[in-house]
Amino acid sequence: MASLLPEDTMGGQVITITSGKGGVGKTTATANLGVALARRGQRVVCVDADIGLRNLDVVLGLENRIVYDLVDVIEGHAKLRQALIKDKRLPELQLLPAAQKRDKTAVTDKQMIKLCDDLKREFDFVLIDSPAGIEGGFKYSIAPSDQVIVIVTPEVSSVRDADRVIGLVEAQEKPTPKLVINRMRPSMVKRGEMLATADVLEILAVELLGIVPEDEAIITSTNKGHPVALEDHSPAGVAFTRIAKRMMGEDVPFQVPEDSEGLLDRFSRLFRR
Amino acid sequence: MTPISFKGTREGLLITLGEGAWHDILNELAMQLSRPGAQSFFKGARVILETGQRPIAVTELEELIALFAQHEMTLSSVMGERQTQEAFDQVQASLPAPESLTQGSADGLPADATHALLIRRTVRSGQVIRHAGTVVVIGDVNPGAEVIAEGDVIVWGKLRGVVHAGASGAENAMVGALILAPTQLRIGGYIARAPDEKRASSWPAEIARVRDGQIIVEPWSA
Repeated sequence: MASLLPEDTMGGQVITITSGKGGVGKTTATANLGVALARRGQRVVCVDADIGLRNLDVVLGLENRIVYDLVDVIEGHAKLRQALIKDKRLPELQLLPAAQKRDKTAVTDKQMIKLCDDLKREFDFVLIDSPAGIEGGFKYSIAPSDQVIVIVTPEVSSVRDADRVIGLVEAQEKPTPKLVINRMRPSMVKRGEMLATADVLEILAVELLGIVPEDEAIITSTNKGHPVALEDHSPAGVAFTRIAKRMMGEDVPFQVPEDSEGLLDRFSRLFRR
Repeated sequence: MTPISFKGTREGLLITLGEGAWHDILNELAMQLSRPGAQSFFKGARVILETGQRPIAVTELEELIALFAQHEMTLSSVMGERQTQEAFDQVQASLPAPESLTQGSADGLPADATHALLIRRTVRSGQVIRHAGTVVVIGDVNPGAEVIAEGDVIVWGKLRGVVHAGASGAENAMVGALILAPTQLRIGGYIARAPDEKRASSWPAEIARVRDGQIIVEPWSA
């Protein structure tokens, strides 16, 4: 029977994490935001939309539990709940892995929207890890989203690609994406060798959701399949936790570690407008 | 969701194409245009076509132009992907130039230059604004974006992309911006690029125009 409510007022929200440029930390961000939200009692599913190049399962340390994948569900070979993998540490966190033997043409926008409508009924947050690029994989990742988070690193090339992606999302009449600046090195900014938060926001002119510092712990945690947000001792893990709180509607003040005060003032003025 | 939306603007009729098969979109558009009562409404309209992410091929644009011609409408500008813009260029090059574009007005600018296109948003990387008259952007033009106008280009914000004023050859066209720092600036047939070393950002706004065979930039004083 049809519900009286339109579908998107029911259940959780679909948040797509994207960037345009590869290697800026989409998968790391998806895994850590999923972990941080689940640690706060939110029911979260991380969806790996990078079909053919699946990674999210590795970062979450769940690779050896995969039986069915996203394409199996879409093509009707498996039920959704058969393909979902429960996290071994957090009962609230689940993963829908990508297919490794197929490619992006295996999924259409419509199928992705239908899949996410189903997931929204069961979860508070559906986090989609988008593939790099602006082709088919990007399009079907954006199609079901209620909100888009763009990950950018403080480099000119990454900012340029983020700008392109923000423009494409706006053209789809989606809400303006929110921004996470990843791999920030305050000491390099200070020496004028890296774009500062204010420089990035000046060009992109979107709302800042958080800043994640460069952190070597990310590399070891990725290799071990143990996201940094599981604990509270690494700088990046703490930063992702703060972002997760903001996603849950908490008002968490921004911190720019070691950045000069003048800069902080400049960027806080920017994101408030 | 209808794949096509119509919006009357001062610059003309803005038609936005949505997702879907090209064939369906064309049919839908033909149907909308020939609805009873619509005929007289659309007749003579200058169309600004917004194509969003969809790339449009030359043949598709030609179909559109033919459809518009049936309703005595003309396609004046296209907002969309680079590929679409290039297709529009090709189509325009193959058509006889419309009179309004070749007839110069008293000041040498195309007569159409008085029809300004107002853009109230940031023009982002990969986006191209092309217009047969003057373009006014309230917002920034980011690196990687292009604004191509047959008239002047005025940016109430930071201009950092590529800009071409007087694109049909008018060398008395000008480019003005609150912060004028384009990747490349063209006026008529002249090209200038930003100096490699960073220039201190200037205030007040600046204006670029052609003087004595080169593009010069000076403070904007009324």
